[in-house]
Amino acid sequence: MKEIKIALVGQPNVGKSHLINSISGATLHVGNFSGVTVDKKEVEFERNGYKLKLIDLPGTYSFHPYTPEEKVTKDFLLNAEYDLILNVVDSNQLQKNLIFSFQVSDLNKPMVIAFNMYDEFSRQGGEIDNDKFFKLTNIRAENVSAKENFGLEELFEKVIKTYQEKNTPRIYYAETIEEEIANVKEKIKEINFDKRFIAIRLLEDDEDIYKIIHEKPWYVELVPQLKSSKERIRIEFDSDDVKEIFFEERLALAKGIISQIAKKARKEKFSEKIDKVLIHPILGLPIFLFVMWVIFQSTFSLGAIPMDYISSGFGAFGNFVGGLLPNGLIKEAVVNGIIPAVGAVVMFLPNILILFLGINLLEQTGYMARAAYVMDGVLKKFGLQGRAFIPLVSGFGCSVPAYMAARTLKNPKDRLITMLVIGFMSCGARLPIYVLLVSAFFAPSIQGDVMFAIYLGGALTGLIVAKILRVVLFKGEPEPFVMELPKYRFPKMKAILFDLWVKTKMYIQKAGTFIAFAALGVWFLSSFPRVDIVKEYSFKIEHIQNADKKAALKEEMNEKILENSYIAHIGKAMAPLTKPLDLGWKEDVALLAGLAAKETVVSTMAVLYGVGNIGDTSKGLIEKIRNSIPFTAAVAMIIIVMFYSPCVAAMSTFYAEVPQMLWRTFYTIYPNVFAYIAAFMAVGLIKIFS
Amino acid sequence: MRLNELSINDKAVIKKIHAKEPLKSKLLSMGFARGEKLKVLKHTLVKNTFDIDINGVNVALRNEEAREIEVEKI
Repeated sequence: MKEIKIALVGQPNVGKSHLINSISGATLHVGNFSGVTVDKKEVEFERNGYKLKLIDLPGTYSFHPYTPEEKVTKDFLLNAEYDLILNVVDSNQLQKNLIFSFQVSDLNKPMVIAFNMYDEFSRQGGEIDNDKFFKLTNIRAENVSAKENFGLEELFEKVIKTYQEKNTPRIYYAETIEEEIANVKEKIKEINFDKRFIAIRLLEDDEDIYKIIHEKPWYVELVPQLKSSKERIRIEFDSDDVKEIFFEERLALAKGIISQIAKKARKEKFSEKIDKVLIHPILGLPIFLFVMWVIFQSTFSLGAIPMDYISSGFGAFGNFVGGLLPNGLIKEAVVNGIIPAVGAVVMFLPNILILFLGINLLEQTGYMARAAYVMDGVLKKFGLQGRAFIPLVSGFGCSVPAYMAARTLKNPKDRLITMLVIGFMSCGARLPIYVLLVSAFFAPSIQGDVMFAIYLGGALTGLIVAKILRVVLFKGEPEPFVMELPKYRFPKMKAILFDLWVKTKMYIQKAGTFIAFAALGVWFLSSFPRVDIVKEYSFKIEHIQNADKKAALKEEMNEKILENSYIAHIGKAMAPLTKPLDLGWKEDVALLAGLAAKETVVSTMAVLYGVGNIGDTSKGLIEKIRNSIPFTAAVAMIIIVMFYSPCVAAMSTFYAEVPQMLWRTFYTIYPNVFAYIAAFMAVGLIKIFS
Repeated sequence: MRLNELSINDKAVIKKIHAKEPLKSKLLSMGFARGEKLKVLKHTLVKNTFDIDINGVNVALRNEEAREIEVEKI
């Protein structure tokens, strides 16, 4: 089957990922702000006997890239092999979008345009005549809505047709410019690109193109021509910047074409009205804090409702499985190791889903970009800029995408500072640990607020650390802040439910595989060596008739096994280090396991505190922990979890994004030192005041 | 006059972009070009950050960037 390789390009937030999801049923993440796709992603599907391979490239405002992610797109368009460009355009912002389209059309590759979000546009009375557009530009176009799923089949028919006919755009600039393009083109000899394209980019001072051609033998002859051509354009257009002249040319072209093909839509006042309140000069910041408070409060209080059911469900399941299996090691490993550990992790799924839903809604409605606007002033004081806010908030969900989202920051210093503090935004996987400890040690009436304080405290600390980094290690001004505020949009329920479903599936999968496996490991390490102890006790137990005493002896035996187990040796080796924090060896081991994945902190505690032993429910863990560790230790543990290194997955993402060994080392060490000192101080303070 | 001197609900025409590259290209690609009309929708309390409507596109920018855009109030 013939394959058509299609580069999907467009400005940020025009719905490229959405389009891919609608066609192929794929599950790319969709948000209503720029920078959701930071790396290219591929999707394949079949239409009319062709295999269409779509490559979703990061949104780009212009062919003069500004951020690292925009560079990904330009590099791809210049250097990769592809058959056709599918340019997605937001029908509501034709002028701004078409300027970019005309930059892309200069490439002289087969090209098709999708006028996306046409549903919104036509509801406001707008219309686009795409046959006329084809006549004017020789670019086939289709009005589509990825959201309401129309026009897509027609779009792909046009894609296939354009591919078959090798149909390329015909867009011409003003006469003087075209003359000079021709003059420059004449001097360009052998090259792998379209010569007209190279001529235009050279006139526009595109450094990437200079790099490609400056070693060509004909370069020397080209230079004087280029100089005189630019000079003539400058004089003719009465401006000293040829790049700007080209920009204005494309703007004029866009305006001219729009006036011929489109009926204007009524101005939409909805977003403006909402913004009157949400980004009000005075109310904006308190409203934002309130929104965040509501999210964390509901994470805690709503999430607690299904907890009992899940917990007793797993308790019953454990007993059921226990009844089926014959007595012995396997039964012990399953009933005391795996089931309670997995149960303890799954118990917190509702909390995580609510948090995830909250962040998702912030993204999809368009509020996230407003929050960046509102927070910009605050972030500036800490040496960051408003845009950094988006990776930071994503960090509350998971650090991995947050590190990737930092690519939307242009300045490498800003990017590194942001990445170094993302870990202080507590990710979703740490939520179970907080819920567990907060439920055990704080009064129910303030639990939600304590949660909010933990997250706010983490975020504030992150900002302060950012400021310190800025002052001490990365001197200089933060980068400029220019950011589009998208329209408010009602989120698509189906997409949100789907996202939640995927999240649930992945969480349960992780609990059932990785966590179960880790729990088995912890159970093994905590149950052996035991031969001598078992020998000693089984004799005693056999010779006692009283059932109560038998049970007590059994528990004593288990206790002794645990105290002498391999894992206890590991934990006890760490104990001197964490003694000042009041942490016991079980907590040490749990925190150590948390480096693999934060969920394992809870599952390890479940195994070590023997939740499965006496057949009680996972919720018994909260009870047990309350009775076993002091308040100071709980606080120390919360603080350490807030600040210490994230999981292996997040750390390797950081390493992949940051090539310098020095920063990698720094990143690996400093959060742990910081966490230790912070916990030490907190424990000290509690002791002084109580 | 410069964009950062405008107040909420002021309308203006862009006269010149003074910003250097690459900020200039960024502003151009957002639609800040000579002769285009804009409106100040909002700014934060101390005029740190501005929310500008340019051709139906909402763009947030800082005082520092707004200062680089020369405008004429209408």
